[in-house]
Amino acid sequence: MTKEKNDKGFNFGAYAFRQFRRNKPAYISLYILGFLALMALLAPVIANERPLFISYKGHHLYPALSFKKNYILTNDDGTKETIQLDIADWKQMKADKVVWAPIPYAPEKTDMLNAGYKGPHDAQLFKNSDGQIINMPSRFRHVMGTNSLGEDVASGLIHGARVSLTIGFIAMAIASVLGLILGSMAGYFGDSRLRTSRGQFWMVVLGIIAGWFYGFQTRQFNLQDALSTGTGKLIMQLLLSISIAIAVTVIFALIGRFLGKLPFLNKQVNIPVDSIVSRTIEIFHSMPTFILILTIAAIARPSMTNVMIIIGFTSWTGIARLTRAELLRIRQLEYIQAARALGFGELKIILRHALPNGIAPALVSIAFGIASAVLIESSLSFLGIGVPSDVVTWGSLVNDGRQQYSAWWLVVFPGVAIFLTVTVYNLIGEGLRDALDPKHKK
Amino acid sequence: MGRYLLKRILFFIPTLLIISLLAFIISLQAPGDPLDRMVSAQENGGEFQAQSANTQKEKDRWRKKLGLDLPVFYFSFSNAATPDTLYRIYDDNLRNASKRLINTYGNWEQISDWQKSLNILKNSLFEINALHAAAVDSSFSNADRDTIIEMDRLVSALLLAYDTRLIEIKLHQLQATCSAHNYFSPASTSLAGTLNAWNNVKSQSTPGKKYIPAIHFYGYNQYHRWIFGDGNWLTGKGAVDCKGWLRGDFGYSYETKLPVGNVLAERVRWSLFFTLISVTLAYLISLPIGIKAAAKKDSLFDRTSSVVLFVLYSMPAFWVATLLLMSFANPLAMDIFPSSGIQPVTGIPEGTSWIEAVRMRLPYLVLPTIAYTYSQLAFLSRITRVSTLEIISQDYIRTARAKGLSEGTVIYKHAFRNALLPIITVFSNIFPLAIGGSVILETIFTIPGMGQQVFHAIVSKDYPVIITVFTLTGVLTLIGYLIADILYAIADPRISYANK
Repeated sequence: MTKEKNDKGFNFGAYAFRQFRRNKPAYISLYILGFLALMALLAPVIANERPLFISYKGHHLYPALSFKKNYILTNDDGTKETIQLDIADWKQMKADKVVWAPIPYAPEKTDMLNAGYKGPHDAQLFKNSDGQIINMPSRFRHVMGTNSLGEDVASGLIHGARVSLTIGFIAMAIASVLGLILGSMAGYFGDSRLRTSRGQFWMVVLGIIAGWFYGFQTRQFNLQDALSTGTGKLIMQLLLSISIAIAVTVIFALIGRFLGKLPFLNKQVNIPVDSIVSRTIEIFHSMPTFILILTIAAIARPSMTNVMIIIGFTSWTGIARLTRAELLRIRQLEYIQAARALGFGELKIILRHALPNGIAPALVSIAFGIASAVLIESSLSFLGIGVPSDVVTWGSLVNDGRQQYSAWWLVVFPGVAIFLTVTVYNLIGEGLRDALDPKHKK
Repeated sequence: MGRYLLKRILFFIPTLLIISLLAFIISLQAPGDPLDRMVSAQENGGEFQAQSANTQKEKDRWRKKLGLDLPVFYFSFSNAATPDTLYRIYDDNLRNASKRLINTYGNWEQISDWQKSLNILKNSLFEINALHAAAVDSSFSNADRDTIIEMDRLVSALLLAYDTRLIEIKLHQLQATCSAHNYFSPASTSLAGTLNAWNNVKSQSTPGKKYIPAIHFYGYNQYHRWIFGDGNWLTGKGAVDCKGWLRGDFGYSYETKLPVGNVLAERVRWSLFFTLISVTLAYLISLPIGIKAAAKKDSLFDRTSSVVLFVLYSMPAFWVATLLLMSFANPLAMDIFPSSGIQPVTGIPEGTSWIEAVRMRLPYLVLPTIAYTYSQLAFLSRITRVSTLEIISQDYIRTARAKGLSEGTVIYKHAFRNALLPIITVFSNIFPLAIGGSVILETIFTIPGMGQQVFHAIVSKDYPVIITVFTLTGVLTLIGYLIADILYAIADPRISYANK
């Protein structure tokens, strides 16, 4: 009955959003975040070594937007000319017309003439298309200076937004999926609601082991070979392994359903989901996360994917704990009992009825989680651990600045960027917390 | 209370077990062969023995000393085709080749015969070479010598090969060269043996066996040795090379080849010093701020302190530390404090009074202490404020106010104790935070503490040190939890009563 009323007269989502909008700092943060995301998305167009458009010997080219490796141009006199996109010196080309990106430098491209910490106001040099070295024209200035290698800080800042936002987002996506699934199962089923026959239970346990054995153990060399061949092959082999594992588990489960009808094996047993998940959360919680991340990052091959996965797998506990607590409360409510009485499947009840009402605290935790993931990522790249050394990130720029304290632009700009991102997420988290809490009315 | 604590301590055992297992699994994944790190590379002088006998002996010694000659864990889960003695093949490449061959042919008996036959062939090649080297033979040219070396390489490659086609090509090559030169005739029987062994591998293959799961158990293994040492597991008697983790033996550092315990013991002092100082300072400063802000909610003090703390909270520690150094230890800006280390480069002269020593060190400690403290400070004040606010809105506080008690008594006597609870819980989080943070801060300020050691170990891939710090931090975290639990039980009598 209450639910019906909710549907017609009162929409909690709309109410929460109205509350959220009244919280000015949080609402502005949402816009800043949108701006940062746009900047990250458009990074190759905003800051790029290659021109957006160049008219070269009568050819109209769009190098910044091209995925090609080479341009093979046929000139008027019939000769062929190859331009390799990644190493071509665009600024030296005699172009009829050229449109540069707002920041005409790529983050990893070194500018030899301006190497050695050139500040925003220092004298900068430029080699023009005639090969002469002149004072920097204002169009090509390194507006935020350069580092020791002559890499452009502004460009690094814009491309670094990509790294930070992606890592924060994907790591928290992994954590959210884990936390929501485990937390809602623990909260909803508790220790006594998930019941199955003894035969079925043991067959599923055996099935998972057997599935792992046939899917992964016996195919370990296929997977190893695929890993060294390439990503496409690896994904194919992994998919095959996973489907074998699932198929074997399902077969065991089906046998288990049959066995569960036999005497002795048909005794009903409880699966203590809550105890298992709670203990796991406690164990994860008492683990020194940052040191764990450092340890794994030190041993694994440096890669962005690894960093995301490690952060994701170590930060799901908060979300799980909050979701568990909410669902523990919600499962006692009448409308859930009504849904059960109507004979809805457990999965449907959790996904359609229980979780949507219990997700609010988790959302807040996710917003804060992204902030701390961004912090962890920048700390890791500041230390140069786990993140590939050729990727320019905000943390790595600050680290560059640590080598030379006079180069304040290397410390201040990226630091402000990190600070801004973290603050924005924290403010959104706070705004969400206040907006989603019915007691807190503005 | 006693029972409550006992319950908490009992819970630590599975947690510790899992942390140790995790650390062990991570250390197994560490790339590179530890023996190569331990035994400094010596010149590969011998033509026939790739490694000189000396290196080999040294490697064997370290292998025993590090326990790498043992099976990995209490059990291994594999298939029926894989023998339970595979761990005795020490060479990684050879073990990998064996595993691959087992995966293809599933008959370990024949495969090990094949590997033995290759070794026999290698020996006979060695004898041929020795024979001709002893007798200065004009018919034996340098080209022939090269051919023998070539053959030896071929046999070595065969030992590590697992691809059927590759093996057959190499065998064919071997056969062709042998029949082309008649000085190979003494090796013909062993060559025939090799060919025969290979045919056996192929003809008597049982590839189906790899689909039968099998489990092997090992009593004494690397994990057991790591935890309990190589003596009696309970008493530790009879330990030779390793007393075990539980008895404070953490293995050897790859870098210095010294016990990890010694390496860390010198370092832990400074980390502890900064952690304790900063935690104390943070609590001392943040409690009054948080309580005052909560007591006068929405006052100017509350609003300014909230904003300032929020800003502090969102600033990454490494950035603040770098900014501090840039502004206060920079000859171009304010050169007030030294930029690195914890004492003058020349050291503190002997015979200085301790007051003088402290005075000399003080400038070095200021910036690190600020950096260590500020992040915890922001975190703690915010929590204090929130939890005090929650308490103040409760009925019993209203009652206390209605009774006419002074605001100070209400806040500090009635609210404070209950507001403490969440702050105590946070206490346990501070240890891992401080140790994790120390990696960054000690690296920036070049403080010779554990964090800097961890950073150094990560850069130089000194895995035993990393793993030890990880497990030790885990233990410290658990101790932090225990202390928090005890404090919690003291502050909230309901907890200890409920468990009675």
